[in-house]
Amino acid sequence: MPSVDLLQTLGNKYSAEILDATDEPRSAQELSDELDIPIATCYRRIDELTEHDLLELHDNILSDDRRRIKVYRRNVEAVHIEFEDDELFVEVEERSEVANTLDEAWKTLSEG
Amino acid sequence: MTELTETGIAGLDEILNGGLVSNSTTLVSGNPGAGKSILGLQYIYNGVERFDEDGLFLSFEENERDLREAAESIGFDNWQDHVEAGNIEIYDKQVLLRENDFSSSLELLLGDLNDDRYERLVLDSLAMFQLFFDSEREKRTYLLKFTDILAENDLTTLMTNEQGAVFPDTDVGLENFLTDGNIFLLQTPTDSGVNRYAWVAKMRKQDIDTDIFPMEIRKGEGIRIHENASAFSMMNDEESPL
Repeated sequence: MPSVDLLQTLGNKYSAEILDATDEPRSAQELSDELDIPIATCYRRIDELTEHDLLELHDNILSDDRRRIKVYRRNVEAVHIEFEDDELFVEVEERSEVANTLDEAWKTLSEG
Repeated sequence: MTELTETGIAGLDEILNGGLVSNSTTLVSGNPGAGKSILGLQYIYNGVERFDEDGLFLSFEENERDLREAAESIGFDNWQDHVEAGNIEIYDKQVLLRENDFSSSLELLLGDLNDDRYERLVLDSLAMFQLFFDSEREKRTYLLKFTDILAENDLTTLMTNEQGAVFPDTDVGLENFLTDGNIFLLQTPTDSGVNRYAWVAKMRKQDIDTDIFPMEIRKGEGIRIHENASAFSMMNDEESPL
């Protein structure tokens, strides 16, 4: 069950920006460059988000200089917070698998 | 010249000015019992029987045996032979909803699409397909992506849609704008049974006849649309609920 813990992770500087940018798979270096995040912080945020299943390791792609690069993709579509009867509800809406599959196939088309 | 895919359904190709636009997606709308699934079965069956074109039939509504019985009950006697020979590939509800895991069936389907073997596809129904998406925006986005994928793979598609005919003051489903063509199947009760009509409301890139035509479902033949009968008889019928 997601909790306040998750909100803290989300609240950390750059976390929301990273999730927003990882609609498509991105490497730590790309995120650092695009979002202007110090690389060490970027790695730390990625670890935190991955721990909470908000982000997932999507693939190990081969770079131009033949090194393996980890790319990450967000796992969630939305996070809802409700305050009700003195109780806090945090609900994580995951990305649909079907949507993922169609996204992938469609992406292949536009690249093809 | 636009390339066309003949449905082989008597009367329909004439109204469509030759057939469906190849690689397009057409929505077939109507109330339950209006003949949407039969039209789909017939489109796929004719493809194999008469045009040497293989087809995929995706049904969230029925299993393979139901489809076979439906096909045979209207006289498509070779349906099962074509299924066994692989000319008709069926993804029935058991396959599509296996372990509640539509995404893996979708992977299989995408593999089949890549094969270039199939030229016709029926999705019965769009409403069930859309249940896999959360918001209205997602439903639209993924319908568009799916139709893109189908078009790129050279499939001419019919999707059934549970929706009555649209008249002024009623909401038009957004699906109608997102697809290339719209065919409505209508039915009105009469003393002796039911009167059926077909209406092609839209077909992108194609000059069509947008009158409403009487339609029959005949044993041994399936759907037949009468091109020349008095098209608007139903409009004058005082008992018409429409």
